[in-house]
Amino acid sequence: MSSTQLSVRLSLVMIAALLLASCAPIGVDSYVGRDLDLRRYHTYAWAPPDAFSTGDPRLDNNTFFIERVQQAVDGQLRQKGFEKVSAGQPDVVVHYHARVEQRLDSSVLRPGEPDCQTGDCGPVVYDAGTLLIDFVDPRSNQLIWRGWAERGLQGVVDNQTLMDAAVDDAVRRIMERFPS
Amino acid sequence: MQNAGIAFAIRPCEVREMRVRPSIGAAVVVWVCVVAGCAPMRVSSHVDRELDFTRYRTFDWGPADALPAGDARLERNAFFQDHVQGAIERNMAAKGFERAPATAEPDVRIHFHAVVDRRLDVNRLDAQSGYCSRNDCQGGVSEYEEGTLVIDMIDVRTNRLVWRGWAQDSVEGVLDNEDRLARKIEDAVRLMLMRLPAAR
Repeated sequence: MSSTQLSVRLSLVMIAALLLASCAPIGVDSYVGRDLDLRRYHTYAWAPPDAFSTGDPRLDNNTFFIERVQQAVDGQLRQKGFEKVSAGQPDVVVHYHARVEQRLDSSVLRPGEPDCQTGDCGPVVYDAGTLLIDFVDPRSNQLIWRGWAERGLQGVVDNQTLMDAAVDDAVRRIMERFPS
Repeated sequence: MQNAGIAFAIRPCEVREMRVRPSIGAAVVVWVCVVAGCAPMRVSSHVDRELDFTRYRTFDWGPADALPAGDARLERNAFFQDHVQGAIERNMAAKGFERAPATAEPDVRIHFHAVVDRRLDVNRLDAQSGYCSRNDCQGGVSEYEEGTLVIDMIDVRTNRLVWRGWAQDSVEGVLDNEDRLARKIEDAVRLMLMRLPAAR
């Protein structure tokens, strides 16, 4: 093994030690701006899609993905009594961001540990996808609510049906946390 | 062939379930790949499922999208650009599409872009193929370069994306080897466009 490979390997072991990912199938959380009553917001509009890369070339500028997210959020907001407006100033501007990152999980068993029966134990790498939905008050330009969901994406993006279902599920779980 | 690009992007929860029943078949396939030096290319696509593709017949090249396409070794590489373009034109013709005459508006515009990312790979092959025993297998993590080639097809009348295909594979030792690059492009474009519905 060359010294470069060795140093790469050592740094990866250190990264692995820091990344003790949990085993939750989907993590969802949200943040509410301080002293805000979200019930006084009734209308919304979409912010233009952001120009940042998602980190996954399959999803960058992918209108199948972008429109699925927007339709899912539209559906959830309609159920919560929100009205989408195209003219005039909305109460809130909705913005979303998707990000895909490769993660290394070392929390699984190591070869040689008594519980490692197959000899095929050790770290795993997987793609983690994060979907983040922001509500911004256009008058104050303040973030009033942020919700996000994170999950593993093994085989999801490559399968359009699975991707659509994953988007719908993530958006539903995120918007469940929005006060109504 | 340390970086065979076998991207075992498996989620931890699934791994624990899978280990209960190790697949001998998969191990054999992996072993054959190691010996023969093949890397699995992952190919897939998204499509407007409500659309009837038989309404399309002619195509032309379109402008690239706004995002930076990634790797300068491919962006300014005439060999790469020519080979991808040639492969797409041949495979589109086989699908029944015609290149639009210069004077006419095409039904669809096509553009492609390539991205190269550094990815991590966990190498489980050593244990499976008996190169190490239970106690000295390290579950080595290595880094490799993964190339993604994306082909987009846009309806000229509606200006909407109607099909996107992609192929992803390790490009270790490929970008600076024209023969290997040409073969990789041929495979990627052929496998991607096999997934495209045919023209009328």
